Amino acid sequence: MKGLLLQLLLLVCGFAAYAQQTPIKGRVTDENGSPIAGATVNVKGTRTSVTTDALGNFSIDPGNKTNPILVISSVGFTTMELPGTPGGTLNIGLKSETKVLSDVVVVGYGSQRRRDVTGAISTVKSEDIAKRPITQTQDALQGTTPGVVVTQNSGQPGGNPFAVRIRGYNSITGGNDPLYVIDGFIGGNIESLSPDDIQDMQILKDASATAIYGSRGSNGVVLITTKKGHPGKARISFSTWFQNDQMPKELKLMNAYQFAKTVNLQDSMNGNGASFTQAYIDSLQLHPAGTDWQRALQRKPWVQNYQLGLSGGSEDVNYLFSMSYLDQPGLILNQWYKRTTFRSNVGVKVSKKIDVQFNVYGELPQSHNNSYPGDLTDPFSQAFQWDPIATIKDGAGNWVPSAPYASIQYNPIAQATNQAVDGNSTNIAAQGVLNWHILKTLTFTTNNTYSLGWNFNQSVFGPNTGNGNQHTDYAQIQSGRGRSYQNSNFLTYHQVFGDHSVTVTALYEQANGLTLGQTSKSVNLSNYYLGYYNLGLGATQTTASTYTQDALQSYMGRVNYAYKDRYMLDATLRDDGSSHLLTKYALFPSFGAAWNIGKENFMANQKLFSDLKLRGGYGITGNQAVPAYSTIPQVQVGGIENASGYFYDGTTATRYTPLGGPVSKSLKWEDDAQADVGLDASFMNGRLTFTADAYHKKITNLLYSIQAPWYNSGQNYAANIGKMMNEGLEFGLGGTPVKTRDFTWNGFFTISFNKNKILDLGDNNNLLVSGVGSPEGNLQILQVGKPMGEFYGYHFLGTWKTSEAQQAAVYGNKPGDSKYQDVNGDKVIDANDETTIGNGLPKYSFGFSNTLSYKNFDLYFMLQGTHGNQVFSETIAYTWGGVGDQKNPTTVDALNMWSPTNETNNPTFSKTSNNAINSSRWVYDGSYIKLRSISLTYHLPQSLIGRWRMSNLEIYVSGQNLFCITKFPGYDPEVQNTVSTFTAGLENGLIPVPRSYTFGLRTTF
Amino acid sequence: MNTRSSILVLLSIAVVTGCQKLNENPKGNLTPSQYYKSQADLDAAVAAIYTELTPDFSFGYTSQMTSCFGADDLTTDPGLNKQPFREYDELNGTATNSGMLAEWQGPWATIYQANNVLAVYQNVSTTDQLKQQSAGQALFLRAFCYYYLVRTFGAIPIVTGPIDATARPPRDSVANVYALIVSDLQVAIAWLPTSFPGQPGKATQNAARALLADVYLTMTGWPLNQPSYNALAAAEADSVINAAQYSLVPDYGTVFTTNNNSEAVFGLQFNVAGGVPNRTLGSSCVPLDEVAVNGSSGWDDYYPEINFYLNRPLCKRSNETFYDTIKLIQPDKSYQLVPWNSTLTHAGHPYYKKFRAAAGDGVIETATSIASINPSTNKTKDFIRYPMVLLDFAEASDMAGGSPSAAAYAAINLVRARAGEPNLVTGLSQTAFRDSVVAERAYEFAGENGVRWYDIVRLQLLPQILAVRSPLENPVPSNVDINTRYISPIPQTDMLKDPNWAQNPGY
Repeated sequence: MKGLLLQLLLLVCGFAAYAQQTPIKGRVTDENGSPIAGATVNVKGTRTSVTTDALGNFSIDPGNKTNPILVISSVGFTTMELPGTPGGTLNIGLKSETKVLSDVVVVGYGSQRRRDVTGAISTVKSEDIAKRPITQTQDALQGTTPGVVVTQNSGQPGGNPFAVRIRGYNSITGGNDPLYVIDGFIGGNIESLSPDDIQDMQILKDASATAIYGSRGSNGVVLITTKKGHPGKARISFSTWFQNDQMPKELKLMNAYQFAKTVNLQDSMNGNGASFTQAYIDSLQLHPAGTDWQRALQRKPWVQNYQLGLSGGSEDVNYLFSMSYLDQPGLILNQWYKRTTFRSNVGVKVSKKIDVQFNVYGELPQSHNNSYPGDLTDPFSQAFQWDPIATIKDGAGNWVPSAPYASIQYNPIAQATNQAVDGNSTNIAAQGVLNWHILKTLTFTTNNTYSLGWNFNQSVFGPNTGNGNQHTDYAQIQSGRGRSYQNSNFLTYHQVFGDHSVTVTALYEQANGLTLGQTSKSVNLSNYYLGYYNLGLGATQTTASTYTQDALQSYMGRVNYAYKDRYMLDATLRDDGSSHLLTKYALFPSFGAAWNIGKENFMANQKLFSDLKLRGGYGITGNQAVPAYSTIPQVQVGGIENASGYFYDGTTATRYTPLGGPVSKSLKWEDDAQADVGLDASFMNGRLTFTADAYHKKITNLLYSIQAPWYNSGQNYAANIGKMMNEGLEFGLGGTPVKTRDFTWNGFFTISFNKNKILDLGDNNNLLVSGVGSPEGNLQILQVGKPMGEFYGYHFLGTWKTSEAQQAAVYGNKPGDSKYQDVNGDKVIDANDETTIGNGLPKYSFGFSNTLSYKNFDLYFMLQGTHGNQVFSETIAYTWGGVGDQKNPTTVDALNMWSPTNETNNPTFSKTSNNAINSSRWVYDGSYIKLRSISLTYHLPQSLIGRWRMSNLEIYVSGQNLFCITKFPGYDPEVQNTVSTFTAGLENGLIPVPRSYTFGLRTTF
Repeated sequence: MNTRSSILVLLSIAVVTGCQKLNENPKGNLTPSQYYKSQADLDAAVAAIYTELTPDFSFGYTSQMTSCFGADDLTTDPGLNKQPFREYDELNGTATNSGMLAEWQGPWATIYQANNVLAVYQNVSTTDQLKQQSAGQALFLRAFCYYYLVRTFGAIPIVTGPIDATARPPRDSVANVYALIVSDLQVAIAWLPTSFPGQPGKATQNAARALLADVYLTMTGWPLNQPSYNALAAAEADSVINAAQYSLVPDYGTVFTTNNNSEAVFGLQFNVAGGVPNRTLGSSCVPLDEVAVNGSSGWDDYYPEINFYLNRPLCKRSNETFYDTIKLIQPDKSYQLVPWNSTLTHAGHPYYKKFRAAAGDGVIETATSIASINPSTNKTKDFIRYPMVLLDFAEASDMAGGSPSAAAYAAINLVRARAGEPNLVTGLSQTAFRDSVVAERAYEFAGENGVRWYDIVRLQLLPQILAVRSPLENPVPSNVDINTRYISPIPQTDMLKDPNWAQNPGY
């Protein structure tokens, strides 16, 4: 500390001593002559640096140098050195850095020049993130990264609605989401991060890149680096946007008149008495609309987002402080999410040998009714199932609890209005990184993060909710505290011997997590004046609490070797131990190699390629994605979720402790062996870039949560059950097809193909996925030779036609009934005729983004889509009625049912027709192309904003999801059920991704 | 300190401070090894057995009798969302039927907990008597569940203790399953007390005897066809009668509105506020087109077949059993009362009256208006009522001897008297008397837990039942082989778990 003070003092004195020198003035611009603000100008060999102002101007004191060399650098531009003359003026034009391969990329426990990387790594930069008004970081990966498929599973605000899949589904249980590493903290909470705080994201896809994360790398790794301050005077950045969200689509439902007529048709076809008199129907015809439950529930909310940052620094200290606030109401009434984040990143160069980085960040989300499970009993789903004849309230102003037709569930508007589920969390983390440059060639790094989280969730389901209606009204408080820490220590040795460059990394890492939870529930409160604030009013009160702790311990070694910048070899070995498994430790090796063909002498004279690199790698990663205590038999404690006790006299609760399900006698790491071959090329001086990868992954010891047979509890247990494969191709093509002084067109196209196949399931072939699907549950099946998550059911062939009456009779059917494929030809349709009827995994997915810049205007748009995936739509099934809790159809398609004169393939009402079964009738093509985003940005001219001391001011208007091209007739082909992580393609009434219109501004001064 | 040693120091500090322990210690979860030490532990384990029977997806909702809809006391709507019930009503149940799953998973989950108690009860430090009382309840409940399973699904695996997660036992013979049920009940009889004061929900010695009597009677019929069990059935039932612990509730209707009344031998207890609602009563049995003043309406799940109603004995019991005047709400919230077969009604069927009120918390109504219709009630679900003991005795003693004894007549006439029926004509033949008992059972237990269906199964009555089925009922497809319909297919979920299992014939 003393030394530091001394140095600071010397520095001040130094400035004072040389203050009399004549400064060098100048202006830094880009190739188009536009000023570059914030560029660093340094007098070579000194500590003297300044940054350019908003107009690119600088003035620097060369000190006592008589022939000073100025070093001018700025992010995204090639650093320049040129001589300056004291008192002179320089006009400096920096060249944009187009050679992608010269970037430095973070690779985990260190960084590498991209040209040295042997693995498949894609990058998303802050500029890419800023192009769209996004609320969650994962959204930035959508459509921008080869091999990464992001689907937004729900349009509900907040939470984590995203499923991110890197190179397909790699595990059939628990974890398919990639590992997020935030500034070296593994498994950081991606939701807690404001997208504005991100400097860049590196997406590690193949095993030679991910194997350094060993047991947790099998789903790919996203390395996130947060922004840091740059030397220079303080910069303030501010951005905000306002967004109007709307439901992208409504289902076409019958009005009250059509509905009543259809109910009467249903009655007469089934031999029931008519529900409505002709007089009543005639009266409806005059006022046919009835209640539009969809519209009654929907809102078109305004979403607001604000971000404020302060950053800057000197040679020795850099700092960045930021705050953000998001206010996001939902698409249905009485639902919102609000999030405040803050971050403080401070870096200090303590001495020549030691630098430290200290980051503190936090997130304070609040939510209100934003955790509907996404199933057919949610108000959103009930809105398309409810009887349009029913009113929301009766004449006396009371909520109508139920309707005699269509759904048996509670009034969705009353439910959404009167329930309250309020979440409050505080998540804070502190991170300290120390780099000790022991020798020029040897660095020791220790990276320590401690994170703390609290949540306090209150809910009340009182009067005028479904629970109130069934006298199971309650209020509940659930709270929890969690902490986790990670301690990573590694030594990096880097030495260059002539043409040979060697880097060796050795790591010891440990992590530990602990969560404590407590839930209190109070049923039948004597009154609800206090809502959830005092549970003492409840007639029946129950509590439960939980404790979970887990630990990981790892050792890792890595060697990178490069020869003449042309030939690169990497080898990694990681040894991971997990507390969750019975076989604790496993070794995860990987190898990678790359050849920079572009650097070869024989390429020196060609003009086509500016860079060309061939990569290849093989490695094994792992997955321990089973919950803690999976192998320990347990006795459960009943109480909160279902029965609070058993009541031997009908009134007094006796505690009960059911034995948990059976557990595996052996449980080990899931292994993921992956081979990858890739090519990176750039052409025409970097105007065009191309990257391609082919990979094959074989996953063994697949972890799966198997449902034990019902005679052995019917509960799930974790087991290693078999083998699976993913193989695929991914391409990225980027370029600047047009570049003139005023007009530039940048485009990036990415497409990824993945094929998944189950190779082995041990003794468990034909594993039905329990609890998933409707009408009948068990919709999905795992079968050897098929991809994961095949839909399983009857093959629907349309309706029996009048001409087929005789054939129909064999099956006990008549014309107009559903016709199913008799797979085994035994003249009976039963469970033996079930077969695979579709799959939710896309054959390929793609994204195409473009930025067109003309003078001060930027037009950006991105198209994104998937192809070859199917959706099993429970929503559509339920709008046809006769399923689950749904008695009558509500869809307008019911007006086009089979009749003798109009033999459509919509089965008519019939006592002999089986419609409420899992069949391909509800399987639709789920391919889509969405205009994910389009925006027009105007950069206010420097001449104007310079007067306001701003270096940048841009305003924009944008639209998200303005259109979706799809054959899927439901709300949104993208939203999918996530009961189990791999239930891709199952749609059961989730809120769609909104269509939104945004305007916003970004400024720096 | 030179550089090398500082590296060593730093690294060793890191490693020493680290060293994560990878052994798990679930401090917030009970594990079997630390548990089952005290009577309280054992009591909570026993309570868990009962609790498994209470949810909707077990025996807490109408789906508990899905496979019994082939009987004439149960039918359902031809359309709406009633396919699970309708499939069985049309004698065309499928292995993927979602309602029937409750009849498989509920009893098995219960057996799993019972097996646990039987595996651990001896480790508990308590008196032998208390151990036996706990184990006796477990044995009773295990037998109770196997009895439902074997009658519904036929051959099933016999699991009597903890088995490995990967174990896939074969389907055992029906005879072996009955042997297990009998031996479990015999031990339960020996170990259970005659009552648990203040805890009427617990299985007692006489409940076990009553259940054993019913089991024996079933063993005399299809598929075991062992007439020798008639005498045993009569003896068990007789011992329950002689114990004089139970008596018929004077008013039949009151049986269905009071909990744990004087004729309740064994019933499942419910408590809505405690998260354990009985959802078989109230809304489930109310017509779709009945709407209460508060806007709630019926679910139309189950009601009797028309001819079952038309052929009812005309007596007070039938008046209290059947609901044949439907209340249709008018725009001014007054009610139009119409007969069940009015064209103004949706179903054109009579309904059940006895299941409407529940414990005063089902349908809240007067003769001319309905205030509210509720699906969740606190009413005990009576599985064994004293009339069953009486009728089991009447039938078994008749079939064991050559002709009905005076005691047999006395037993059935007790039931008939309470029903408001005259005494049974004397001098009936053995078969005629048996048929009278079976007919009495049909109306005494109409709509209750499949009692009628299991009579149809053990006596192979489907041809007779179908012969008198109204053409207005849901049609039985012509391609259905009736002989295969006395048992349900095994659920597809568990069929797929074991390739060695063969599905029941005809499915």
